[in-house]
Amino acid sequence: MVERKPRPPASPAYETLRRRILASMILAPSVPFALVLLVGTYNFNLATREATVARMVRIADDHRNAIQSFLDERLADLGFVAHVWTFDGLRQPETLTDVLQDLQRYAPAFVDLGVFDADGVLVAYEGPYALTGKVYSDADWFRQVIEHRTFVSDVFLGYRNSPHFVIALAEGDGADRWVLRATIDTHLFTEMVERVRSGRTGEAYVVNRNGVFQTVRRSGGELLDVAPERIGLDTPGRGVATSVARAADGSTFVWATTWLNDDNWLLVVRQEVGDAFWALHRATYVGLVILVIGGSGIVLLAVSLTNGLVRRLQRVDDEKQHLNQQLIVAGRLAEIGEMSAGFAHEINNPLQIIRSEQALIEAIVDDLGRQGQLPESEDVADLTDSVRQIRTQIDRCAAVTQGILKFARHTDPVVREVALADFFPEVVAMISSKAAVSGVKLTVNVTPDLPPVNADRAQLQQVVLNLLNNAFDAVEQQHGSEGGEVVLDAALSGDRIEVSIRDNGSGISAADIGKIFTPFFSTKPVGKGTGLGLSICFGIVESMGGTIRVSSNPQVGTTFTVSLPPAT
Amino acid sequence: MSRLNLMLVDDEERFLATTAKLLTRQGHNVTTATSGQEALDKLEQHDVEVVILDVKMPGMDGLQALREIRIRFPLVSVIMLTGHGTVESAVDGMKLGAFDFVTKPCDIDDLLAKAEDAAGRRRDLEDKIRQARLLTAIRSPRELVREADGRPEK
Repeated sequence: MVERKPRPPASPAYETLRRRILASMILAPSVPFALVLLVGTYNFNLATREATVARMVRIADDHRNAIQSFLDERLADLGFVAHVWTFDGLRQPETLTDVLQDLQRYAPAFVDLGVFDADGVLVAYEGPYALTGKVYSDADWFRQVIEHRTFVSDVFLGYRNSPHFVIALAEGDGADRWVLRATIDTHLFTEMVERVRSGRTGEAYVVNRNGVFQTVRRSGGELLDVAPERIGLDTPGRGVATSVARAADGSTFVWATTWLNDDNWLLVVRQEVGDAFWALHRATYVGLVILVIGGSGIVLLAVSLTNGLVRRLQRVDDEKQHLNQQLIVAGRLAEIGEMSAGFAHEINNPLQIIRSEQALIEAIVDDLGRQGQLPESEDVADLTDSVRQIRTQIDRCAAVTQGILKFARHTDPVVREVALADFFPEVVAMISSKAAVSGVKLTVNVTPDLPPVNADRAQLQQVVLNLLNNAFDAVEQQHGSEGGEVVLDAALSGDRIEVSIRDNGSGISAADIGKIFTPFFSTKPVGKGTGLGLSICFGIVESMGGTIRVSSNPQVGTTFTVSLPPAT
Repeated sequence: MSRLNLMLVDDEERFLATTAKLLTRQGHNVTTATSGQEALDKLEQHDVEVVILDVKMPGMDGLQALREIRIRFPLVSVIMLTGHGTVESAVDGMKLGAFDFVTKPCDIDDLLAKAEDAAGRRRDLEDKIRQARLLTAIRSPRELVREADGRPEK
């Protein structure tokens, strides 16, 4: 397994980074989100408010016109009657009865009809009350109608002691002055006024200048009661005045007020704000919910993304560190390699001298022997033997230094035909002592008459040595110093030359086998090896037009097979 | 093995001494030099067939010495003594006209075999030159006389 240093606890640098990333990841979407939501809600608020108020204004306006029309029409009715039947005609009780009946048929709001002479005496009356003969010259309404010719009264109790209002008109001049008066059914009038309904709490009613109810208020307010609110009464002018204000009972209403009946009466249309702006409030709640959900969504996402990001960064940093370490190790090993070339050179010089000395000794001993100067004895035998042995060992040293020097060069690859028949023995010789020392049984089967390959000899050596060394390591790991076996086969397979190196070592796990040719991948502990060997071999084999493949069984063994095209 | 006229050039004195002794025992004529310059000087005075020349020496570098020898003593064959196997300096040496090379530490027998070859080549060359001269002598006695006055062709 590739060893990794245990990850250090989150360092302050990472915490700062995390916080910064988190902050920006939250802010970045939050700001536009909140902005959009707020601006949207605010505008919606505004628009709805305006629309609602506008609607109320329209209702109030239309309703006022309707009520005013009603009043005007009733007066017109009276005018018609006055003109058609005249004072004298209407004095006849039967006529009055008929007229009232006719009037009521098409305008049921008329309760009664009364004819008054110039002195305010009720000279003829048709209706539910016994009022005939009563004098009204002091009544405010009488005085008003005489003065203004038409008059619409406020609701009052009068002689009949029940709330009602009258409309009257005066005809004639001077002594011929006479008044026609009718009572309007307040119940019907209230019904008409009240007809406006909007929502749950929307209502309309009429008050006079002093705030006295002229119609019954649905939510509480009898005729002639004083309305607890003075809203709209202090606002003169044409058109509809609107406001949002608290009513006497504490709830807040939207008010729309407008004057009618010569500014004597105020039409009040009102609706509770909650009721009027229900759509608005709902939208605001929805907006809030969205804000909360969206906001928490943003935060959650930001946190998870940030964590993922920081984790990734840490991992990348770790890997980089690891790679750096491996690079350092590789560099060190490369240096050692370089130095070894120097060592080999240094050793060659004394080796040369030793060799020549040995040659001289050997020559002298041989000569002395030939000349009969050397008695036959064990000592002489030992001497001769020893001298020869020195030569053998010098040869051995020379082979080692030559091997190192050949290997340590980094010249551009010189591709030549490499005859495998003498290539393999040379390589095996380089490694046979290591095999012996490690207790590994190395078997080499090179079929004779193998065609040569086009390769740089040193590179080919590098590949074979690397594979053999790996095999030795694996075998040592698995079997210690006894029982390890490595077999090198070189044979023709189809039209390719296949070199396979088989070992009975610890094998490569399925998880690792895909990575072994990756640079810097190593299953050895840190410090041992660079992790570059196989990746370099791969490169070399590829450049020779060959392929390298591996199969392995953990705990059983591994086989590397290099397949090369023969030199054509 | 016939008697060879050899020169050994190496900065290791001990090696020179011992190898010279060895070669002398075997009946060859050995001159030694410890530097390229000394080698060139001695070549003026001695008749040498084969020079065994170390590539790496202080002062005049082996290849430089080789060049000089080839220019000034073209009939002398040079065998390079090099530290590693097939390598640039040996290849360069061959390009510059060295006859062969031997890797350090060198095997005496191998060295001698190559020296023999080198000497053989020189002798062949000398024969050819003599033959050529004989031929020209047959053609033109006048030229023979002229040549006899001057030094033999270098």
